[in-house]
Amino acid sequence: MNSKAMQKFIEIAGRIGSQRHLVAVRDGFVAIMPLIIVGSLAILINNFPPFGAFNFVEWMNGIFGEGNWQAVGGSIWNGTFAILGLLVTFSIAYNLAKSYDVDGLAAGLIAGAGFIMLVPITGDGGLNMGWLGTQGLFVGIILALVVTELFRILITSKMTIKMPEGVPDGVTRSFEALIPAVLILILVGFFQAMMTVFAEKSIFEVIFNIIQEPLQGLGNTLPAAMLVSFLNHLLWFFGLHGTNIIGSVIEPVYLPLIEENLNLFKSGMSAFEVPNIVTKPFLDSFVFMGGSGTTIALLIAVFVVIRREKNHPYRQVAKLSAPAGLFNINEPVIFGLPIVLNPVMLIPFILVPVTLTITSYIAIATGLVPRTVAILPWTTPPILSGYLVTGGSFRGVVLQLFNLALAIVMYIPFVMAGVRMLNRNEGKAK
Amino acid sequence: MKIILVCSAGMSTSMLVKKMKETADSRNLEVDIRAIPETQLKNEIEDLDVVLIGPQVRYLEKKIKAQLEPKGVAVEVIDQMAYGMLQGDKVLDQALALVNIGKD
Repeated sequence: MNSKAMQKFIEIAGRIGSQRHLVAVRDGFVAIMPLIIVGSLAILINNFPPFGAFNFVEWMNGIFGEGNWQAVGGSIWNGTFAILGLLVTFSIAYNLAKSYDVDGLAAGLIAGAGFIMLVPITGDGGLNMGWLGTQGLFVGIILALVVTELFRILITSKMTIKMPEGVPDGVTRSFEALIPAVLILILVGFFQAMMTVFAEKSIFEVIFNIIQEPLQGLGNTLPAAMLVSFLNHLLWFFGLHGTNIIGSVIEPVYLPLIEENLNLFKSGMSAFEVPNIVTKPFLDSFVFMGGSGTTIALLIAVFVVIRREKNHPYRQVAKLSAPAGLFNINEPVIFGLPIVLNPVMLIPFILVPVTLTITSYIAIATGLVPRTVAILPWTTPPILSGYLVTGGSFRGVVLQLFNLALAIVMYIPFVMAGVRMLNRNEGKAK
Repeated sequence: MKIILVCSAGMSTSMLVKKMKETADSRNLEVDIRAIPETQLKNEIEDLDVVLIGPQVRYLEKKIKAQLEPKGVAVEVIDQMAYGMLQGDKVLDQALALVNIGKD
């Protein structure tokens, strides 16, 4: 392989992976993940299918009174998913400010305030909840980045109120943020007034229509899913954290898609009828089983191919990696086998996940398997994840088993080739 | 001595940390070893001697080096094979070697 081109690729990927604003966006999403998962689980529990004769939802309603039990999950939803745009605005601004070593809390609060200023007011004086959630995601991201940049410039340009020595730190800091906060919020206020007067629309509608909706439409297609899969694994092949590097681009596009599914599932639509096939949980549960590269299948392939030689290096790596692999952590096998820069493993490591993306897409598009209606922690083991992610359907598990079997079969010839190469190299060494 | 291992979520390196601690114990070394995500590194700078970076986030090397080397902290990417095979002893040796060089 051309090592100069490779170096260049690693360098570029590295630069993207550590670019300040992209990192802030990614970490902003990472920070709110626990809330998202709780919100998603609340919906899942509210709509859990009867397990044989036992219907959990009916049982709980029998105890608490019809509809009261669901109110618990519903209010969790309102505090998490329903205000995702607001939450992420705060956490992106916080992270970006932190990366500049300026007051993250102040930047986050100002960005949050600015976000609410832009939200259209409903006829009866409430906030339009639609825009507080995932539909307002892109406005939130842009606002958080712009506000924090302004905040940083104002702070570093010393446009702040100086406090005499001896004043407590907390007080000093809140006064330091005062002038930047005033200027930024006045600016946002003017912007909002101009939008109302001249465009007669909110910025939310504009951004949603020209950026967010088209991107989401693209994201929910098979080619896009294949591209995401391909890029992720190409990066991992070079030993770079693929999911991490493309995360800042993936999350804003794919979160609204799963939110739409969840929201409809919440209001009683079946998991077969919800609109979006390609979501992040779709990839996590049906493709990245055991981690990127569906490496749990690779581990099984190693155990199948190498049965006798207990001390074979491949087998040892597989044994070491297996426990963590069940929870989708696979760095040991990626670096230990290794998969990184190993020409024998390049083909299956990329081909397997891309193939599984296609089979999963077909299985769901043809209605054999329900769509994804839950966000799970990425460490949820396969089989369990297939059941939960489809809203409690064993068809999800069947798809996972089918995909696993296919992946094992695809990996086996390459494991055999790898073993042969290893033997030949050892022969030479002797 | 304080050693910090950095990866994206602090999960995969935590397995390695466990092995390194076992090795350190068997050698009667007094070492504080921890795995953290990169974003938390800022909060751990006090008394820090060595930062080892997981190979999957090796693109952070430049940034972390620029940040910490002026403060006298040794920074290096973990040897890839040793990382993959979870060889706690080798990675611990790597960290110890870094500190010795730093003291010359």
